[in-house]
Amino acid sequence: MPVYRTGARNKKPPPDGFEDIEDTLLEFSNKMKDAENASHEGKKKYEMLWPIFQITHQRSRYIYDLYYEKEAISKTLYDWLLKNGYADANLIAKWKKQGYEKLCCLRCIQTKETNFNSTCICRVPKDKLQENQTIECVSCGCRGCSSSD
Amino acid sequence: MLGPAHLPPKPPPGLPPLPPGWIEHKAPIGHSYYYNRETKQSTYVRPVAQLQFSPQQFTATMPYQTPRFAGAPMGGSYGGNLNNHQHQNFHGGQNRGRGGFRGSHGIQDRHRRELEDKPKHRYNIPGCKPWVLVKTKLGRRFVYNTETNESFWKFPAEVMKGVVEFDRIERGKKERRERGEPSEDEDEDMGEPDEKAFVGADTRSSTKHPHEEGDDDSSEYEEVEVTDDEGADEGSASKRQRTEEPANDQPVEFNEDDIAYQLAAMGQDHGLDPGEYDNPDDEDWEPGAEGLPLTEDDSKALFRDLLDDCHINPYSTWEKVIEDGYIIDDDRYTVLPNMKSRKECWSEWARDKIQVLKEQREKQEKRDPKIPYLAILQKHATPKLYWPEFRRKYKKEPEMKDMKLSDKERERCYREHINRLKLPQSTLKSDLSALLKSLPLSVLNRSTSLAALPSELLTDIRFISLPASTRDPLVETYISTLPPAPEGSSLSAEEELELEKKRAERERREKALAEREKRVHEEKRRQQRNLDFGKGRLRQEEMELQQAMKVGKEGLKAQLGFLADEKDGKGEQAGSGGINGE
Repeated sequence: MPVYRTGARNKKPPPDGFEDIEDTLLEFSNKMKDAENASHEGKKKYEMLWPIFQITHQRSRYIYDLYYEKEAISKTLYDWLLKNGYADANLIAKWKKQGYEKLCCLRCIQTKETNFNSTCICRVPKDKLQENQTIECVSCGCRGCSSSD
Repeated sequence: MLGPAHLPPKPPPGLPPLPPGWIEHKAPIGHSYYYNRETKQSTYVRPVAQLQFSPQQFTATMPYQTPRFAGAPMGGSYGGNLNNHQHQNFHGGQNRGRGGFRGSHGIQDRHRRELEDKPKHRYNIPGCKPWVLVKTKLGRRFVYNTETNESFWKFPAEVMKGVVEFDRIERGKKERRERGEPSEDEDEDMGEPDEKAFVGADTRSSTKHPHEEGDDDSSEYEEVEVTDDEGADEGSASKRQRTEEPANDQPVEFNEDDIAYQLAAMGQDHGLDPGEYDNPDDEDWEPGAEGLPLTEDDSKALFRDLLDDCHINPYSTWEKVIEDGYIIDDDRYTVLPNMKSRKECWSEWARDKIQVLKEQREKQEKRDPKIPYLAILQKHATPKLYWPEFRRKYKKEPEMKDMKLSDKERERCYREHINRLKLPQSTLKSDLSALLKSLPLSVLNRSTSLAALPSELLTDIRFISLPASTRDPLVETYISTLPPAPEGSSLSAEEELELEKKRAERERREKALAEREKRVHEEKRRQQRNLDFGKGRLRQEEMELQQAMKVGKEGLKAQLGFLADEKDGKGEQAGSGGINGE
């Protein structure tokens, strides 16, 4: 029978500076666990994944801000975080593009998945919408993520 | 209109005594504010007990543009701005039951507004011909009948429809004009629950009426209160209420006494409770009207101080900071007008803070992760436990979980340590002394204390083999035999290494220089020799030439002598010419 080797045994330590953000990341992962285990009762079918998308977005944003805005973490740590799934690299790649600075999730700009080959309603700027129209997009529950808002 | 010069003189600050129940406090920013323990009310403006009105002045100075307060049926719709005003019109009934609870604030707030207010725009109301809608400088509105010269704050029923219609059109226009800005009716929506909450949690119910008889100077002061329910609507932008400075710098339209009289008269005439003037939304004022003493930089710095003082982790998220709510309770939280600016300030602060932390960390020397691990080994390791047992037993220790030290390394240390524990004491002691001797003087010298031993020593497995009780005296005695630290021992080992490197480099350079000099010298000597040699040869040649010349002369003579036999004079000439040529 092969030896079962557990986690930390042969793992390389994370790059320097991880201890600083470890607590916040742990909080995010706890939130994520809660969201995963939350009851789906009373929710619509498409609503079930919203909190997951939201937390992913928040966590990615956190890491993005730390690296690009505050310059608080090193390149190696940033790469390590991306590699280990703490942030969504594809989403961050979109944030760097003009007009996508606040993008909520990648599904909302996937035009091929919609009936009229359009983006999600949350990509529409607030002033183009009708007055008093509150929106929550179906894919992630976003209430509007156009850059001009 | 009376300018500021006509105003009654301000009372010197601090002179008028506080009414009973009021206490003066100092805010952390430095200014003082006043708190009434009974009514739980606080204000930045010094409350003064009494006031007196003089009705004569009122009639004399009343400006003609203002609605005729005395004749008009005054409703509860005293919105300080358009939004609330409207809202109150639509929900007029809700205010009715409040009676005289609100106390002085309504009047005072209103009073202040009156001081600065004047009509600004006039609009025709569609469908109600003689009536026009007048908008004042502060955004309040009243209707005015151009035929009967009547004006009302509260819209009569027949005009109301027209006003609603007008509003709708106006709003549409505005929206089209400035896209992206929050529309009016959004604010209105926000205002409504606000108001309700306000009625529910009204803490100011039994405030004393300050506009009674007595000291009328106090009317120069405007009263503003710090509402308690502001924390709830922090999300809405620029809703903070701030200190109001006395309005000396602002255009004053009426004499205060007149206004006070008007207010009192209106209140009596129409059975109004002053609370209905009250407007929970007056935080919506444009910042210019507030007369803030703080500049933007000041308020930013204050907010930064607040963040510093609360020991906020700069690596956490803004949402978390707000959720924790440590900063919200502080007064300095309110120096920035809205959430956006606060967030901006926070991220700037976090960036700077992180930079500072980084620099600090770089200055600190890195602690070897092996040191605490070896300490725990010395404490707990026994030959009775195998490595897996030991690991299982102490897996909760932070040193055992430290990621910086790999598990293999830990295991290796453990095994080595256990093996060494089995060796006789004398070997261990000699090993330790060998280790101590191997350390350079710059690292270990007489001034080294036992508490601050160098890491080279602490990370060595030989150091922990002996129990501390026998080891420490040994180390101490060894240290006491050492000479004091060499010059520049304050430098760390790395710097020492660097210096060593530099010295070696310099030596190498000097050596190279010496070598080159030697080579140059040799070259010179060789050249000299060559020169000498060349000179010698030259001299030799010269001599040879001279000799040859001598020989030549004689030879020539001989020849000449030989020729002279045939031609006498010619030989002489040729001989002298040859000598001259040399």
